[in-house]
Amino acid sequence: MEENTKKLITQRQFQRTAALDPRCKVALLIMIGCVSYFLNGEICSLVLVASFALFIAVGNGGKWAAKMLIFYIVIAYLNALLRYVSIPVLSVIMSVFGVTILKLVPIAMMGIWILHTTQMDDLMVSLQRMRLPQAVTIPLVVMFRYIPTLRIEYRMIRNTMDIRGIGDTVWKQLIHPLATIEYILIPLLMRCLKVTDELAASGTTRGLELEGKRYALNPVRFSWKEYAVTALGIVFLALLLFLDHTSIGEIIIWRV
Amino acid sequence: MITFDNFSFRYEERDKFTLKDLNLTIQTGEFVLLTGRSGCGKTTLIRCLNGLIPHFYPGESKGDILLDGHSLLELKPSDLAGKVGTVFQDPRSQFFMTDTTRELAFGCENMGYSREETVDRIAKAVLDLELSDYLNRSIFDLSSGEKQQIAIGSVYALLPKVYIFDEPSANLDYAATKRLAETMKRLKADGYTIIVVEHRFYYLRELLDRAYLIQDGRLIQSFTREQFCSLSDETRIQYGLRTVYPEREAAKYQLKPAHKSNDGLSVSNLSFAYKKGPDVLRNINFEAHKGDVIGILGHNGAGKTTLLSIMTGLLKEKTGSIRYNGKKLSPRQRRNLSYLVMQDTDYQLFGSSVEEELSLGIENDCSGKVTETLEALELGAYRECHPASLSGGQKQRVTIGAAIVKDSPVIYFDEPTSGLDYDSMVRVSHLIEQLAAAGVIIFVVSHDFEFITRTCSEVLQLDGQDSIKNQVLTPEILLSLSKQYFN
Repeated sequence: MEENTKKLITQRQFQRTAALDPRCKVALLIMIGCVSYFLNGEICSLVLVASFALFIAVGNGGKWAAKMLIFYIVIAYLNALLRYVSIPVLSVIMSVFGVTILKLVPIAMMGIWILHTTQMDDLMVSLQRMRLPQAVTIPLVVMFRYIPTLRIEYRMIRNTMDIRGIGDTVWKQLIHPLATIEYILIPLLMRCLKVTDELAASGTTRGLELEGKRYALNPVRFSWKEYAVTALGIVFLALLLFLDHTSIGEIIIWRV
Repeated sequence: MITFDNFSFRYEERDKFTLKDLNLTIQTGEFVLLTGRSGCGKTTLIRCLNGLIPHFYPGESKGDILLDGHSLLELKPSDLAGKVGTVFQDPRSQFFMTDTTRELAFGCENMGYSREETVDRIAKAVLDLELSDYLNRSIFDLSSGEKQQIAIGSVYALLPKVYIFDEPSANLDYAATKRLAETMKRLKADGYTIIVVEHRFYYLRELLDRAYLIQDGRLIQSFTREQFCSLSDETRIQYGLRTVYPEREAAKYQLKPAHKSNDGLSVSNLSFAYKKGPDVLRNINFEAHKGDVIGILGHNGAGKTTLLSIMTGLLKEKTGSIRYNGKKLSPRQRRNLSYLVMQDTDYQLFGSSVEEELSLGIENDCSGKVTETLEALELGAYRECHPASLSGGQKQRVTIGAAIVKDSPVIYFDEPTSGLDYDSMVRVSHLIEQLAAAGVIIFVVSHDFEFITRTCSEVLQLDGQDSIKNQVLTPEILLSLSKQYFN
């Protein structure tokens, strides 16, 4: 009985790439962000998205990776379509908008996957091992915890707005966009204040402010795997950047 | 042993002392109930015990509090973490982690225990408190009762000597409250000191050793269990206390006058399922007439909230129809017709003043009606105030006011009395009676037996298996309900 319980407690919920140290994941995210910004060629951008989609799919993120990959391809096609539409100003704006989305896809894909596959205690431990002061780590962790709640709170507020007839139709939202945002933000902020205060009180009574060395339920270590993944990531991304400047970067793949 | 020695406390931002000249001794292993009207200082008192005062909520204090001879005022909350454990009121906002196992481990990890020790301690908590079904789940999928149990487990893993519970039953149904009482019984048997702040304390009547009544920051009365359980109704109402024996209210029930007009809301053969899921609600039929107050009862997860969402037009029914005065209603029409007073008023207050709040979303001029409503709800003095600056009960009345100004013919209340003292509960009950007398159809989702017997004219029980209908409330039905809930 006791052994089984202990096994359940220490069971890892995320496997393979998702079980990497949070520091490694965040390092990859930052590198992907920079590289995605500098890549211009269509092939290299697609390879970037596709290869990290694969990376995520290996680590408990198959569905999410597939979704983002399809989204990327659809947007890329739509963007290509724009070449055949020539409305002054608008088509330029739309095209810039499309390219921006394409550049953001890999970052969002990776970022949200990290949010979903990182255990809070692993995060706290790795932030501590990076010698960040508590004044930085605690707000970060509270934020990390609060993001999934936001969606639930938002839904609750929209429901009440619908019942009260405040910004409940597209028409009302269009003619009073600022008022609509205000009506969403005010209760959201009020809740935020209350929840963060209660959360902090509850954490404090359980020793959140203690500065001793902490240990997560599963070992958190920057081991040879993390070094290998980070090194491979750097080589791969550098290669992409290099290829992008050769003739490969000029190949156009999105034709309609 | 905990001793309050002539202790007074004033919050930094207030002029008056919240706690005044408190002298109180709690023996090791004692089970203590602290009760009294909302705002009497109960919560402040327990904040002094877990170290949040004066470190988290600063202020001025006089006198001293001693825990086994050491002054609590000199200890930081983190020093107290392994000694005094607190289970807070709202299970939603006390979880630091997003999954249950890590929440259990949270305290131990803060204390810097080794991995092996943390695992040992959680395993003990899981086995002792029977939490193994809840392991490795997302906290967003748990019911309030399950969250509560995890919160207790997380404190238990730290092995404190003293447990503090702040209104632990406010968000729980009867089954979850029963389980909470069993957990508390276990803790008591193991010799822990337990301090509970509570308005609805019926489930503690077998457990408590002493009860303390606090009024306006002072300790007014101290009772033994026998004294407390045998308080006469007059005395307890004078003190603003809820009953210790809610089941006895059943016999006192007075039939409400029936309103059998043809007009009203009628629901037939209603069913609902979430995407690809099984039916949450099936074969629901009821009729409601002007002036009816219908209690919607059922355990957590029986579909009470789902039913409210369908009735208020937030969700679309799978089969069946909802008619008002004979006319079938679309979800949008239902939304225009109804008003929902939520348990958590924070979600419902959008305006920058009470006055604006009441007139929000109404296109024609309604200033006369707003003034009238504010006076009727005793909110006239707060006209210009920001809704967020009001107390819980006042906020609730503001949302009820908005329903009155909107002229909704159907008003739904979701747990209107959770965390309310006797006086506020009676006040809400009167308000609902007045609304009903004015011809509004009212639905109340509630776990509060005392409130249901006082207020409702009919009940709709979602616990039943087959076809679900509304019944006129009678002492017999109440009696069978009380057996189901309290035995």
